[in-house]
Amino acid sequence: MKKRELRRADFITSVLLLAFSAWILIETFKMPAKDTYGGVQNVWYVSPALFPLIISIFIIILGTVLLVHSIQSDGASYFFSSILKRTKFASEKNIRFLSILLALFSFIYLNIPRIDFFISTALFLIFFISAFYFDEINLLKKLTLFYFIGSLIFIILFAFGISKILNSYYKYFIDILALVFYISYVIYNWIKVKNNHIYKKRLIVSLMASLAVPLILCPIFRYSFLIPLPKEGLIIQMMHNIYYFLKRVI
Amino acid sequence: MFIFGPLFIFFQQIFILITNPINILILFGAVLLGIIFGAMPGLTATLGIALLATLTYGMDIGTSMVALLAMYVGAIYGGSYGSILINIPGTAAAAATALDGYPLACQGKAGKALGLTTTASAIGTFIGMLFLITITPFISAFALKFTSFEFFLLAFFGIIISGTLGSTDLAYKGWIAGFLGLFLASVGRDQLQFYPRFTFGLDELDGGLEVVPVLIGAFGIPQIIQVLKDKVTCGEAKRFQRILPEFTEIIHHFPLIIRSALIGVGIGAIPGIGEDIAAWTAYAAAKNSSKHPERFGKGEIAGVISAETANNACIGGAIIPLLSLGIPGSPPAAMLLGALMLHGIQPGPMLNFDHPLFIFQCGAILLLASFAMWITGMLLCKQVIKVLRIPTPVFMPIVAVLCVIGSYSLGLEIFNLYLMVPVGILAYFLTEMEYPIAPLVIGVILGPMADANLRRALMVSKGSFLPIITRPVSLILVLVIILTVVNQTKWYKNLIRRISEKLFSKKKTKEISSNTFKK
Repeated sequence: MKKRELRRADFITSVLLLAFSAWILIETFKMPAKDTYGGVQNVWYVSPALFPLIISIFIIILGTVLLVHSIQSDGASYFFSSILKRTKFASEKNIRFLSILLALFSFIYLNIPRIDFFISTALFLIFFISAFYFDEINLLKKLTLFYFIGSLIFIILFAFGISKILNSYYKYFIDILALVFYISYVIYNWIKVKNNHIYKKRLIVSLMASLAVPLILCPIFRYSFLIPLPKEGLIIQMMHNIYYFLKRVI
Repeated sequence: MFIFGPLFIFFQQIFILITNPINILILFGAVLLGIIFGAMPGLTATLGIALLATLTYGMDIGTSMVALLAMYVGAIYGGSYGSILINIPGTAAAAATALDGYPLACQGKAGKALGLTTTASAIGTFIGMLFLITITPFISAFALKFTSFEFFLLAFFGIIISGTLGSTDLAYKGWIAGFLGLFLASVGRDQLQFYPRFTFGLDELDGGLEVVPVLIGAFGIPQIIQVLKDKVTCGEAKRFQRILPEFTEIIHHFPLIIRSALIGVGIGAIPGIGEDIAAWTAYAAAKNSSKHPERFGKGEIAGVISAETANNACIGGAIIPLLSLGIPGSPPAAMLLGALMLHGIQPGPMLNFDHPLFIFQCGAILLLASFAMWITGMLLCKQVIKVLRIPTPVFMPIVAVLCVIGSYSLGLEIFNLYLMVPVGILAYFLTEMEYPIAPLVIGVILGPMADANLRRALMVSKGSFLPIITRPVSLILVLVIILTVVNQTKWYKNLIRRISEKLFSKKKTKEISSNTFKK
């Protein structure tokens, strides 16, 4: 980050820090300081509020110092002038950053708790690897948009309880839908890169990595470390069947 | 007798370790894994230890320490591969190595440079280990005199010193990061009265934040975002025939090695200061004391040796405050502390009583790890550098999956993952704005200790803060903290400048007047 931008960021951070420390202070005053809690008569120096109080005071002091420094070094004036100017938000770096956030958020908050771990990992990897491996901003945009729309459909399915209705017909219905999403993403990808020999190769690498990683990790964690995976659905169940069948046979 | 007892225990520990084939297998495997982690730009020693900590959770403490320390040693050494062969340091600790390592590789001396770094790193680790086993018991014994006030101040000292030295911009940014870490540590039910603080009514937050997922988030997520956002790619690695141990060069530079190792150990022992600063300081010292400072940056062997010896010696140094005081000396050591806590081991002054052999065991592991690193480096270097060919957009998402499954597998809690991402994003923005992450992590780890000890101390003193200045160790810590803080202020810097100007101008006038007299 350039010095000027850094000072602008300092100005924003200092304001956020002051607001944050004020919130800590408010929460701290709600904690028992002298009254009884759980049958224990409090004195101020044993109060659970003491430590957060000290932290908030220090953050207020340091936040103020940072604020003063950022104002003195023109961070504040640069911030206000940049608000008035229209800055280009859709820079390549910002798009890349948003794609990374989309991949992480959809994987952790959307897929892992609800979709078979194997499929969610494969889905995460195929998007995350292919989108960045092609190293082409237009492709990244298109793939991100496709993945975003797919994720949005899943959000709707989960948010309105449609997933539960579908799963009542067949208990792995959502997993099958996720598999369909995976396959359609690969097909969409293929259509986009079919004329480019290098990109086609990269798509194959992405595809292989997205399948190989969960194929190695899931059995290791499930059967060697005996760790139940976050959501065991269609594929993990198949893996169980094969594993116990082989165990019986051998 | 005073020396023979501990020596006997030390060699006994080595014997126990080498007679167990599984330990040897894990030792070499973890060193190799460490070298791969260190060599790949974007992967760090801290992240490697964090991920391995989750895998070694089920092992006994001895075996898991073999894996973790071997990974630490291997990763710090492995960073030099990227520095020398592609001019991209695998880890921050190897950044100083690139200055002379890459020019050496360009001159067709990559094999020689790698040979030197391998041997220098092994010697550095060995010297760090010597300090670890000799100094730690004394510091532990001294720390037994510490009371709650001292422990509270020690946590503060750790944050202030690591914040000051770790900041690349303003020193107080490091302190802010430290206090944010302390705040994160205060989330959950407090240790004395079990009052829920900042839990938002969530049961999952009652137990406080899990340290390891927070550390994985703080070190892993920013790394993934930075590498993919800024398109960090590996260049074509320089070719070389074979690597040579270069013993004659090593003997020729032996005083330099000893000095760099001492710098490494010393800097490692300061809380929160990592191997990168150790390497830079040793490099600068080597350049300043060299007869040919102009050769530095153009392929000077002394530059490579000094940086690599110091960063590996820093490992032993960083473990000294970790084991004796419970304060990590570097970010990877902070991760080690997290792993130790997972195994129910609380480092600090009582460690020698609870686990009397532990320090010697760590020393023995470090010694064996330095041998394993040397052997692996000499034999498998050519194979290991093949990992540099893996494109970053392929391996960083895989690292993300490892972070996720590693964080989850610790408590089998999806909530750990929910926690990991915001912490990671916060750490990413802080890194972008040049806030060091080490103080934040130290704050998270030392927060509970600081909180409980402060209140305990005040209970004993009935609310009086007076013992802070009446107890000698407390007073020293307070003075050091105040001095560190005051040292950053403008008026203090101006004052020092004015005093030095006055002193020098007096000296100059004296010299001039004496010269006129002579004439």
